[in-house]
Amino acid sequence: MSSASTEASASLAVRGDGDRLTLEGPLEIATIGEATRALALWLRQRVAGRHRALDLGSLTGLDSPGALLLCELRKKGVELTGVRAEHKALLDLVCGLELKRLPKRRVASRWRQLLIQLGRSADEAWRDTYDILAFLGRSANEAARALVHPRALRLPSISRHIAETGIDALPIVGLMAVMISVVIAYQSVVQLRPYGGEEFTINLVAVSVLREMGVLITAIMVAGRSGSAFAAEIGVMRAREEVDALKVMGMEPMEMLVVPRLIALVITLPLLAFFADITGLIGGAVISQSLLDVAPLQYIDRVHQAVDWRDLFVGLVKAPVFAIVIAIVGCMHGLRVHGSAESVGRETTRAVVKSIFLVIVLDALFSILFEKLGL
Amino acid sequence: MRTARRNGAPIISAHGIVNRFGEQKVHDDVSFDVARGEILGIAGGSGSGKTVLLKTLIGLRHPDRGEVLLDGKSVDALAQSERASLIGVLFQQGALFSSLSVAQNIMLPLREHTDLPAETQEQIAAMKLELAGLQADTGIKFPAELSGGMVKRAALARALALDPRILFLDEPTSDLDPLTASGIDALVDELNRSLGVTVIIVTHDLTTLFTVCHRVALLVDRKIVVDTVDKLMRSDHPWIHDFLHGPRAQGAMQARTRSHGNG
Repeated sequence: MSSASTEASASLAVRGDGDRLTLEGPLEIATIGEATRALALWLRQRVAGRHRALDLGSLTGLDSPGALLLCELRKKGVELTGVRAEHKALLDLVCGLELKRLPKRRVASRWRQLLIQLGRSADEAWRDTYDILAFLGRSANEAARALVHPRALRLPSISRHIAETGIDALPIVGLMAVMISVVIAYQSVVQLRPYGGEEFTINLVAVSVLREMGVLITAIMVAGRSGSAFAAEIGVMRAREEVDALKVMGMEPMEMLVVPRLIALVITLPLLAFFADITGLIGGAVISQSLLDVAPLQYIDRVHQAVDWRDLFVGLVKAPVFAIVIAIVGCMHGLRVHGSAESVGRETTRAVVKSIFLVIVLDALFSILFEKLGL
Repeated sequence: MRTARRNGAPIISAHGIVNRFGEQKVHDDVSFDVARGEILGIAGGSGSGKTVLLKTLIGLRHPDRGEVLLDGKSVDALAQSERASLIGVLFQQGALFSSLSVAQNIMLPLREHTDLPAETQEQIAAMKLELAGLQADTGIKFPAELSGGMVKRAALARALALDPRILFLDEPTSDLDPLTASGIDALVDELNRSLGVTVIIVTHDLTTLFTVCHRVALLVDRKIVVDTVDKLMRSDHPWIHDFLHGPRAQGAMQARTRSHGNG
């Protein structure tokens, strides 16, 4: 190559040829990409002398990545000449560093990772089950004690949680129940019309709302609203060492934090489920009027024939069980928070996912149980 | 006597800054300049608006009145990439991204604002870690695995990622044991000397103010008083006098004599 005159960028120029190059302009983070390439090319070329030199006298700017590049060149035997006074301190600092490569994290192969993940999840599921049962036992113990010793029963706290988990949830639960009965009604009408059984839509709506949908939708909503709130509230208290402060002052966190929430939810969830049943049936009445031309009075008659107190009971008896699951899982994950703020978010998510999962699993078990009992 | 290399126009100039929270004025007509290569400490009592002033200077808070010029340009007029290469900020809690490793934290601004190959980015990240006084091995750790002092150093390495010309440090030595705090002080001094970076330190730490800072800005009565420590110590304003002559100031003063004696 006769004359190496490479414009490295608009502002940095690499001039000269053979064993002697000059850098002109700023060698900074914006220009080192081009400079690195040009200089690497230069290092690969054969030069007459063994000795290579890079003149920095015309360098107008230098930052630490630029200095890093120069130090690497110096290590490869390139002499740096004409270093300006204002660049010397930086060059000395960077060249004086013990530069090591960033270590790489060891990663297992994909199949091994899958296996590890599988094992870890299984282990976690097993331990979680154990934890939930243990926590259930402790809460039952504390709740029983609170019921026997009324001093330990914190009525103001319970009433606050009843308001937050129950009264505040009324609008959304009612709305969801109406929506669900609309969905069921529409699906049933379409399926039953070919057989001329459209009027059985009312039976379907009434039975599914009372036995299943009312309570299930309510439980899922409460798990999302209150289960998460329990986990987050208690979790923040854990993160800010408020729970530790309670313990130090001789107060039992289980009694102060868990039992009031548990009792409140056991009271409100059945009431909310009943409210959902009623609004669901009202939704059914509206949809029957518009889809089937069944007048409200006639509708009430039909509902009477379709369902009896047993259906209502089968639905509502599940509510306290769901309430216990949601409160226990929410509080347990709240108390599992340790240290940082991320932990609060993680435990809250887990609480919601796990409580909805458990609610649906239990609902399936209840269905089998009631079928066997002939209810 | 510590002096800054002063040349040319000030790199930061604040003009008539007014910050208000509702009816309450935190800053009333605060104006000051910072020279290139200077280390300025900003101090004041709790609630005197140190952090608010810092946020105003870096453009995160728009002042109710007044203007901040960084390198002659209004902070609001700076383009994002321009601002990123002009200023680096060490936040009080470090503000390292918890989902990224330390090295990834440092490489994030490099990846966003430059088109350097990954290998060069890694080299630069390793260098910044060393500059901040950490081992390259720290790079693969996650912020949650670091001690308090290491978090500050890692956050400092990230603040230095794009070689900013101004470094803002919000309480760099708070929550640190005295030895680690002195280490951070020495590091700031070293970076200022070798990189020529202008440093603004918001701090409660009198030792930092006395040993590292060229000048000190005290927020008093919603105004700012900027001067060298020696001159401020002769001030007859009662709060400034108490602040710089209190029991804690004595120890800091001794540290200053010692560090100046050695260096």
